[in-house]
Amino acid sequence: MRKLLPILLLAAVTPGFAGKRRERLAVPVWVEGERLEAGTLGVRLGGQAARVEAVRGPEHDLLLLVVLDLSGDVSLAETARDALARQVHQLPAHTWVSLMRAHEGLSVILDPTADRSAFEQAVRAAPPGRHAGFLESAPTVMDLADAILRQSGVRVAVLFVTDSDVRRYREDFANPVINASDPRDLSRHFPEALVQEKIRKLDRLMAHSEAPLFVVHLDYRSDRLNEAYQAGLTQLAATTGGASEFCRSQGEIAEAIGRALARIASHYSVVVAVPERTPKFASLDLRAPGRTLTYRPQVPAEER
Amino acid sequence: MRSYASVALLCCLLPLQAQQPTAPQPSPAMERAIAEFKAQTQALGLRAGAEQQGPRDGRAGRRWHGRIFENFRNDFLDAVPHEIVQRGGKKALLRRNQFGLNLSGPLWVPRLVDGRRSGTYFSFSYEGVRERISRTLLTTIPTLPERGGDWSAVVDQAGQPLPIFDPLTTRANPAFDASAPVSRRNLQYLREPFPENRIPVSRLDPVAQRALAYYPAPNTAVGPFFRNNYFVVSPETNRANGILARADHSVRERHKLSGSFSWSNGFLGAPRWFPNAANPGTPDRQFYTRRASLEHVFTRSAQTVNTLSFEAETTGSRSGEEQQAEDVARIGLRGVGSGAFPVFRFTPYLSMGRPFPISRTVRNTFTWTDALSTRRGRHSLRITARYARHQVNSYWPQYPAGSFRFGAGLTSLPGIVNTGHAFASFLLGLAEFAETSLVTAPSYFRRSSVRLSNRHQYDAANHIQLTFGLTLACDTPRTEKFDRQSTVDLSAVNPANGRPGALVVAARERRAFQPVLVKLEPSASLAWSPNGDSRTVVRLRWERDYGVIPLYSGQWATQAFNPAPTFVSPNVQLAPAVELARGLPPPLFPPPDLRPEAANDTVADLMDASDRQPTYQSASVSAERELPGAMLLTVGAAYSGGKNMLTGNASANPNAIPVEALRFRDRLNDEAFNRSLRPYPQYKGFDVNGLWPLGRYQRAAGYVRVEKRATHGLTLNLYVELSKQMDDYSGPYGRQEFYNRYNEWSLTAWNRPWQFSLTYTYEPPLGPGRALFAFSDWRRHLVEGWAISGISSILGGEPLALRPQFNNTGGVVTALRVNVVPGVDPRVPEPGPERWFNPAAFDQPPDFTLGNGPRTHPVLRAPRFQNHDLALNKRFALSPERTLEISAVGLNFLNHGNWNEPDTVIGPASAPNVNAGKIIGSRGGRVIQLGLRFSF
Repeated sequence: MRKLLPILLLAAVTPGFAGKRRERLAVPVWVEGERLEAGTLGVRLGGQAARVEAVRGPEHDLLLLVVLDLSGDVSLAETARDALARQVHQLPAHTWVSLMRAHEGLSVILDPTADRSAFEQAVRAAPPGRHAGFLESAPTVMDLADAILRQSGVRVAVLFVTDSDVRRYREDFANPVINASDPRDLSRHFPEALVQEKIRKLDRLMAHSEAPLFVVHLDYRSDRLNEAYQAGLTQLAATTGGASEFCRSQGEIAEAIGRALARIASHYSVVVAVPERTPKFASLDLRAPGRTLTYRPQVPAEER
Repeated sequence: MRSYASVALLCCLLPLQAQQPTAPQPSPAMERAIAEFKAQTQALGLRAGAEQQGPRDGRAGRRWHGRIFENFRNDFLDAVPHEIVQRGGKKALLRRNQFGLNLSGPLWVPRLVDGRRSGTYFSFSYEGVRERISRTLLTTIPTLPERGGDWSAVVDQAGQPLPIFDPLTTRANPAFDASAPVSRRNLQYLREPFPENRIPVSRLDPVAQRALAYYPAPNTAVGPFFRNNYFVVSPETNRANGILARADHSVRERHKLSGSFSWSNGFLGAPRWFPNAANPGTPDRQFYTRRASLEHVFTRSAQTVNTLSFEAETTGSRSGEEQQAEDVARIGLRGVGSGAFPVFRFTPYLSMGRPFPISRTVRNTFTWTDALSTRRGRHSLRITARYARHQVNSYWPQYPAGSFRFGAGLTSLPGIVNTGHAFASFLLGLAEFAETSLVTAPSYFRRSSVRLSNRHQYDAANHIQLTFGLTLACDTPRTEKFDRQSTVDLSAVNPANGRPGALVVAARERRAFQPVLVKLEPSASLAWSPNGDSRTVVRLRWERDYGVIPLYSGQWATQAFNPAPTFVSPNVQLAPAVELARGLPPPLFPPPDLRPEAANDTVADLMDASDRQPTYQSASVSAERELPGAMLLTVGAAYSGGKNMLTGNASANPNAIPVEALRFRDRLNDEAFNRSLRPYPQYKGFDVNGLWPLGRYQRAAGYVRVEKRATHGLTLNLYVELSKQMDDYSGPYGRQEFYNRYNEWSLTAWNRPWQFSLTYTYEPPLGPGRALFAFSDWRRHLVEGWAISGISSILGGEPLALRPQFNNTGGVVTALRVNVVPGVDPRVPEPGPERWFNPAAFDQPPDFTLGNGPRTHPVLRAPRFQNHDLALNKRFALSPERTLEISAVGLNFLNHGNWNEPDTVIGPASAPNVNAGKIIGSRGGRVIQLGLRFSF
C-alpha cells in the first residue's frame, strides 16, 4: 500500500486533461413530428441558454463513413456486403459515402463518392481479415469524422459493420490462461475486466466526438466475454448519440443495416454556440414545440 | 438504311442513358468535406502507399498497448473458512502474489523491422504465481490404546462395544446347520474374542508396529465415539511462471501468417496430512507446458478464405521426487520395491502411504487443420480437414512398495457383521488382499484421428436459414511404440483351465486390440424469424455425434510387461492373503511374462475390443425475443441422450457373479467357490480403466435466459434452468447389479434439479459526461471510473445416494443399496443439520440380499449450494491512454457457509448409525483478492 499511495496521489492531482474550449458544437438529433427549424428550437447547454447557429436536416449533404470490420464467417460478411451494396442505392443523392476497413488495421478503400455503383463494386470486393479492428480504429475514425464535420459543416456519421469477436483482437482482451497448473487463479473469474477497461478508455475518448457512431454487429455472441464487449459497443455508440444493432441470425443483417442507414440519413445536425463558462461536459436540453427530439444527454464543451 | 439503323439505335440507347444515375457534383461544403477526408487519411497513413506524417494528437502513433498487474491475496483479508472455525481454528494461512505483464503492438527492431510498414505485430505476456495456502482434513485415525491392542473402549457407530475376535481360535462349529443361514445362533465357525477385548502385545505384528511409528496421534475429538479425531491444517504451495508470445505478419494483401508460443513451468506442493513418508495425501507435482502454433490465412477473394494451421503441444508432470525412501526400509517389509512407503488400507481409518507415489507423464499433441470457407449465392460452405496425432508417455507405477488391504473379517465372528475391525487385522499383520506393481519401463502410447467435416448453410428465404453438417471421423486405436501392450482376450482359451479369457500381447502383426473406428456425425439446424419479424428468432437444432475414447495417463493394459502380482485371501473371514511379517513372495515369472495365463489370479486389465463407442444425440428448441429496454428473452428446451457411455469398474464388471448366486450365502466367502461362479474364474476381477462403453443417460432441460445490454450503465444476464437427468451408471458407489442395468436407472448423481445464476455489471453514471457529479476538476478522480461486477449462483442439491453400513454379500455385490421401509416418509418437515432426512425410512438389507432402494434417491437431495462473488473496480485515468485500475474481488463475499452433505450411511436396526441423516458442518468462507493494474 505504501508503494501504491504515491501513484494514487499522482492520479488525484493530475489535471483534467484540459482541452481547447469549443466555440460551437454539432449535435446529432432525431425528430418525430414536423420538420425541425432553427427558429423553433430552444437549447440549454449546461443549464444556460445557447444560440442555435444552424440546423442541417435530411435534405442537406451527408457524408457517411462506412467502416468494415470483418474477421469472422465469410457467410455473414457476404450477407452484410450484399446488403450494403443494395441499400446504399436507397440513400438520397446528396449522401456521399466512403468505404474503409478496420480489420488488419484501418485503411481507406474508397474515397467519398456519390457514385453508388463504385461503392457497390468496392464493398463487394472488400476481403475479410483475420484480426478485428473496431476497438483500435474507432477513435481514429471518430476523430476523422469530427475533423470533417468541423471543416465542412456537412452532416457526418460513422457506420461500423462488424462481426468482431473480442478474442480476435491483436491486443489481448481474452486474458488466456498462461499457467495451467495454477488451480486458484481468481484473476480470470471476472474475465470481462480487460475489455471493460478498454471500453471505458474509449468511452472517455468518444465522449468528445460530435459525429454519431452507428454499429451493426453481424454475429451476436452469448459468451460472457463477448457479452461484455457487445455491451461496450452499445455504450460507445450511445455516448456519441448513435445506436447499435446486433444480429442473432443471418436473416436479420439486411434489416439491421437498413435500419441503421435510415436512421443515419434522417438525422439532423444542430450546431449550437457554446456559451461562456460551460463545463467541460454539459447537459443538453433541446426543445421544439410539437416535436419529440432524441439526442445525446451530455455533450463535450471542450475538445479533447 | 444505315441512317435509319443509327436513329433506331440512338432511340434505344437514349432511354438507357437517361435511366443511368449520374453522380451529382459535390456542393462546396461537400467538396471541403472530401478534401478534409483525403488530407486527414493521408496524414494518418490510412491510404494505400501513404506514409504517416505524424499524428496530430500523438495517440495514433502510440501503438504499443499493454498492462502490468499484481493480484494480492492474504489471509488477513479473508474470513476464516467455516470448516476451520467449526474445528476451533482461527486462521487459514494464505499468501498469494500473482503478477505479470502484457505488451502488444507493431514489431519494431531498430534498422531491421518496422512492423507498421511490414504489417508485423506481436503480443507478449508473462505471468508468475507465488502462493502458500492452508488445506484442512478432518478424519478418523486409531486411538493410541487401539494401536497398542487395547480395544476395550472401542464402540461401533451406535455406541455399543465392538468385539475383536482372535483368528487363531477359529474352529468349525460341529453344531452348524448348513440348511439354515449363518447367524449368532447358527455359527459356521466358532471364534473366541480376545480377553477383555485386548490383543496381547506378543501378537502384534512387528512390521505393523514399526509402520505405526509413522502414524500421528489424534489431536481433536469432534466425535462421536472417537470418530473425527484427527484434524490437520497444512499448507499447499503453488509456484508457476509462464509466457505467451504471438506474432502475425501480412504478406501482401492476401496472405496472413501468424504464430504463437507458450511456455509454463509450475510446482504444486501438496499438503502434508502426515509429516513423514507415510503421508497418504497426493505427492508434490512439477508441471510444464509448451505449445507452438503456426497459421496461414489465404484470402482468395472476398467470398473464399482458406486457413491452414499446425499446432504442437506438450504437457508434462512429475511427482514423488520428495519421497523419503530411506525411511521406508526401516519398517522391514520384505518383497516389495523401495522408494516409496507401502500402502496400508484399513477402512474406516485414514490409510497410510499413497498410490502412484512416483510418476512421470508427458502428453504430446500434433494437429494439422485446413479449413476452407466459401460463399456462393445463398449457399455457404465450410469444409474442414483435421489430422491429430496424440502421444502419451507415462511412467506410472501404482503400488511400487505394495498395497495391503485389511478387512474386519479376520478379527470378526465369521459371518456376523459389526464384529471385528480392519485396523485390528492390521495390528495382527493379516491382510485380506495385497498387490504390488512391477513396472519395468515407461509406456509410449500413440493414437491418431482424422476428421473431415462439412457445414452447408442455405438461406432458404429472407428469414429462414438452414444449416446442415456432416462429419466423417476416423479414430485409430491405441498402440504402443514398442508394442508393449496386453489385454485379456475374452474369446481366447486360457491354457490353465480351458475357459475363455486369456492374456494376449501386442505384436508386429497385431499392434492394437481395438478396431479403427469410422463414424458419420450429422447435424441440422434452423433459424427462423416468424412473420419476418427479426425481433423474434426461433431456433431448432439436432445433432448426433460420437465421443472419442481418450488416451489416459497411466500404464493400464501393459500387464504382461508391467505385472501387478495380486494376493487374494482364500476366505476373508478365515485366512489372510499375506502376513506382513513374511512380506510378499518373489514373482515366479519375472517380467515380461507373455504367457496367456500370466494375468491369472489377478485383477486383469481388460480393454474393450468391440466397435462400441460413446454415442450422443441431442435436440433443442429455443425462441429469442427482443424486448424494450435493450433486453433479450430466450426460452428454450433441450433433450440429450447417450449410449455406450464410458464407465469404470464400479459400473462395469464383465466378471461379476450373477446376483442369483447370493443364495449360496456364506459359501461365497470361500474364494475358490466364489471364483467358480464368475464367467472368467481365472481372474479375481477386471480393471477397465473407466473405458468400458456401457452406460446410458437421458437429460431434459428447460431454461429461461434474460440478457440486458448496457443501458444506464447496467448489464445483466439472468439464467434459470430446470433439468432432470437419468442414467444407469453414475454415482459414488456404482451399480448393484451388473447384469440388470434397467434396475440401475435413476437420477444422475450430479443432477441438480434447478439452477439460478445472475451476472451483472453496473457502472454508476458519475463523473464528466455522466448524469451525476459531472466534476471536471480534481474531484472527477474520486467519482468517475467506478464499476461493480457480480456473479451469483444458487444450485439445487444433488440426489442423495444412500448406502448400508455393512455389505455381507460374499463379494457378489460391491455397491449394495439400502432397503426401503414401507410406509415411512423419508422426508422431514423442516430439514436441518440435525435431521436432513428420516433415516428410519431405510434399513440395512439382511445378509446376502440385495437392497431394494434406488441407486440415487428420487426425492432426497443434498442441501442447495449458493455462492455470491463481487468485484469492485476503480479506474484512475492518468492520461487518455494510461490508466491505473484498482480492483477488489470478493469470492463468497457474503461469507455464506454451504452445508456439507448429510451422512447417508444406514446401519442395521440393531446398531443404527447415530449420524445418519445429520449434517456435520459447513464449508466455505469469504476470499478477497486485491488487484492493481496499470495499462497503457
